[in-house]
Amino acid sequence: MNLKERFKLSRFVSGEKAVDTPVVLNHRRIFILPTQRGLGFVALIVVLLLIAFVYNNNLAYMLAFLLASVFFITILHSYKALAGLVVQKGRAKAVFAGEAAGFDIHINNPIDVERQQLQVTLQDSQSLAMQAQSTAHVTLYSVTQKRGWHQAGTVTLSSTYPLGLFRAWTPIRFELKALVYPKPARLDIPFPQTVSAQGQQGFNSKGSDEFYGLQEYQSGDAIKHIHWKAFAKGLGVFSKQYSSEQALEEIRLDYDQTPGHNVEERLSQLCRWVVDAEQAGISYGFALPGLKLPPDHGLAHYRKCLEALALF
Amino acid sequence: MIMKPELDKNILTFLLVSIGLIVFPHIYHIPAAVFGFFCLLLGWRFIGIWKQNRLPNARVVFLLLIFGILLLYSQHQGLFGRDAGTNLFIIALGLKLLEIKKERDLYLISYLAFIVAASQFLYEQSILMAAYILTVCCVLLATLVSINSHNMQIFAAFKTSAIIIVQALPIAVALFILFPRVDAPKWMIFNEQRQARTGLSDSMEPGSISDLGLSEELVFRVKFAGAIPPQRQRYWRGPVLSFTDGKRWIQGAFQKPLIRPTVTGTPYQYTLLMEPQDKNWVFALDMPHEFSSPLALNAAYQLITSDSPDKRAEYKVISYPEYNTGPINLSEYKAATRLPGEPSDKIKQLVGQLHGFDSPPDNFINQLLNHFRVEDFHYTLTPPVMEANPIESFLFNTRRGFCSHYASAFVYLMRVAHIPARIVTGYQGGELNKVGDFLEIRQADAHAWAEVWLDKRGWVRVDPTAAIAPERIEREINLDRQAVYGIAGASDYLPRPAYNWLKQARQLWSNVDYNWQRWVINYDNKSQSGFLSLFGIEGLKALVYWMITVIGLITAVLCWFLLHQKPKTADKVLLIYSRFCKKLAKHGLVRNAGEGVKDFAERVKMKLPEQAVDVDRITDVFIRLRYGRVATGEDLQQLKRLVGLFKTR
Repeated sequence: MNLKERFKLSRFVSGEKAVDTPVVLNHRRIFILPTQRGLGFVALIVVLLLIAFVYNNNLAYMLAFLLASVFFITILHSYKALAGLVVQKGRAKAVFAGEAAGFDIHINNPIDVERQQLQVTLQDSQSLAMQAQSTAHVTLYSVTQKRGWHQAGTVTLSSTYPLGLFRAWTPIRFELKALVYPKPARLDIPFPQTVSAQGQQGFNSKGSDEFYGLQEYQSGDAIKHIHWKAFAKGLGVFSKQYSSEQALEEIRLDYDQTPGHNVEERLSQLCRWVVDAEQAGISYGFALPGLKLPPDHGLAHYRKCLEALALF
Repeated sequence: MIMKPELDKNILTFLLVSIGLIVFPHIYHIPAAVFGFFCLLLGWRFIGIWKQNRLPNARVVFLLLIFGILLLYSQHQGLFGRDAGTNLFIIALGLKLLEIKKERDLYLISYLAFIVAASQFLYEQSILMAAYILTVCCVLLATLVSINSHNMQIFAAFKTSAIIIVQALPIAVALFILFPRVDAPKWMIFNEQRQARTGLSDSMEPGSISDLGLSEELVFRVKFAGAIPPQRQRYWRGPVLSFTDGKRWIQGAFQKPLIRPTVTGTPYQYTLLMEPQDKNWVFALDMPHEFSSPLALNAAYQLITSDSPDKRAEYKVISYPEYNTGPINLSEYKAATRLPGEPSDKIKQLVGQLHGFDSPPDNFINQLLNHFRVEDFHYTLTPPVMEANPIESFLFNTRRGFCSHYASAFVYLMRVAHIPARIVTGYQGGELNKVGDFLEIRQADAHAWAEVWLDKRGWVRVDPTAAIAPERIEREINLDRQAVYGIAGASDYLPRPAYNWLKQARQLWSNVDYNWQRWVINYDNKSQSGFLSLFGIEGLKALVYWMITVIGLITAVLCWFLLHQKPKTADKVLLIYSRFCKKLAKHGLVRNAGEGVKDFAERVKMKLPEQAVDVDRITDVFIRLRYGRVATGEDLQQLKRLVGLFKTR
């Protein structure tokens, strides 16, 4: 870190540049400032000194000095409340826009000091205490707005332990981002008629919920359709089959044929279809300008499609 | 931060208990109505912990506030000053208790409680009170700790706050010693009603000193720089009474320029620590010779201070046991021979019988003292009441009395024989504290003796009480006091060692108290500069530099203790091994992440075959230390040595 970076004011708030590696909290990263209560405490000390001065009372002086000294010592304790912690980034799960993205943060307390109070803040705060030599796992949530990559932003670890007169904090930025899929459209538009489905009569785009029967599980079947009750009884792994799957073997979801006023609306609609189709267990082909995926279904395919939508 | 409801109760109980403890000693200082009102509010709040709905609503709180203001107003104490301020803060604290909504309120309450704790010191400054307040402050801080911790046990919070206070003490003491003391400007000092104190008065009737006779209250303490004078020389001179109406003695008015007595003999050098007094008298050992302002000697050789006597004060005095006050002047002579009226025949007959009229004064004095000794005179602190003619009825009828009876009768008879005489009041004796090597003079040591003027010798002290009750003067221990307080009695039924032990403990405690008063309570501008000049610290600038240096040093030590983590053995092993790795790194041998120690050793041996033995040994010891069940200190030493010797060529 060069001198200019060292004195950058943003270090106090948003932390140093984002890192990938675990962060050890040390004097470079921990900032300490008095809280409002701390300033109140200073005012108290001034009042006590005034009383001692007017009445020339040595014990009142002593009390004032003792509290002043306590105030001063508390700075060290505040530092100690955070120092030595190792913060490591965890995983981030993909979400749909509008949902809160969860970021896993691992806090490790490698030394023999108990941490009585820690607050981990992203958008909301979580308060926790840590035993000596232990690890805590925290999931922090941040509400997403737009599709695409959502950066975790600055995670702040703070503590007002022991007396609440000082707040010690460390802003940390990790290379931590969550993928945000477009928000599925709310409109219930039927699947587009596709080439292979055109010849068939009377297909029911919505009728994906007519139970048809069971079939032995094949790789690629949706996990949702596994007949868990049968599995639990030890009968083997079966997939539930729905009537529409028989009627409608595959559909083709194409960006160019998706209704919508703008890009986002179309993507949103496509997203909705992908979700519905995956849920219904229909094989779906997927096409975006510059990307074409053959009809398929299953988690991997589903993810690939959503990822393409998120990053389009 | 949101308070956790389940902790809320604990914290509140804790806070309320500590506030109760802080306000409790004020029961002696504040009006009963104010104390009662506070107790009501505190009790109400206590109930509110468990029964939320019983707490007063906003309107009731407002009414209580009005009531509190009226209560303060009714005490007629205004807003400023010690008593008024204390009342104000206590009522404010009580009212604030009923309005705890947020965590901020808890803080405000603790801060108010700290102020009330400090106000306690305006009334009492004993060690016990200081210790009490320190403990209670610890409880208050513990409350703050438990507010700021996630889920801490009350006891653990108390421990944490105690640790913080102990760590804070060195800096607090350094500040206490080095913080510049300046006297407050006059306009800032509030006039307080002085409380009446017992003590010697400026008049004496036979019997009046007996009020003081049994009081254990401390008057002053004396620390001698060298030898301590023997008990029979310890006369602490107070007001001199020379005018009498036959019953009452008062300070006589006579005009005389002060002629300093000529002194001889070995001087006694000492420091007087006067307790707060009503009068500006300073009781010096007969005869004070060297002293500095604000002290001055009056015409009756009594030391007077021009400072306010209601504060503890320290004076340095040098006294000489042998002195000659020189000639007497007319005004003084008249005052010292004046009789309230023509003495009765009985008196004249007695004086004649003792050769008062026909022999030198020396002889008469001895005759009279002998008369007291051989006749049926008794020394008692509870003499019969003598109303009409106290001197005569004492001499011829009751013959029972104590110092003031003997002194007044003696002086009266001297005057009948035309010898100038007067009464000196003050204190006699004092108990030696063997631990601290200082004398404690209490009200019970109050005494009255006589002074006669003899040609060529000046005023000479004569103590008639010594003739009748020599033990009162000669002995270290005050017999009367012992009899009354049962100390003498205690020696009868307590085994001797236990009694001695008790006495020693008492002296030890007095010594601690003496030093407390002297060095803590009385530490002011003057004693500060005196004390600091011992270390060569003079002037404000030096003081500030020293303050910064000392606090910096203490902080450095504290930092080291608080923040330095002693590496554990396991870490030490790793540290040494990493030193080994560093040496190898110079040869481009870097242990890959996830590479086992043994694999790494093999790789190193390939590259540096001539050092294979060393590498193997180091690796073996390292593995034993790191993963073996029993790792000994020897292994650690060996590893250290091996790595130290390891050289890569």
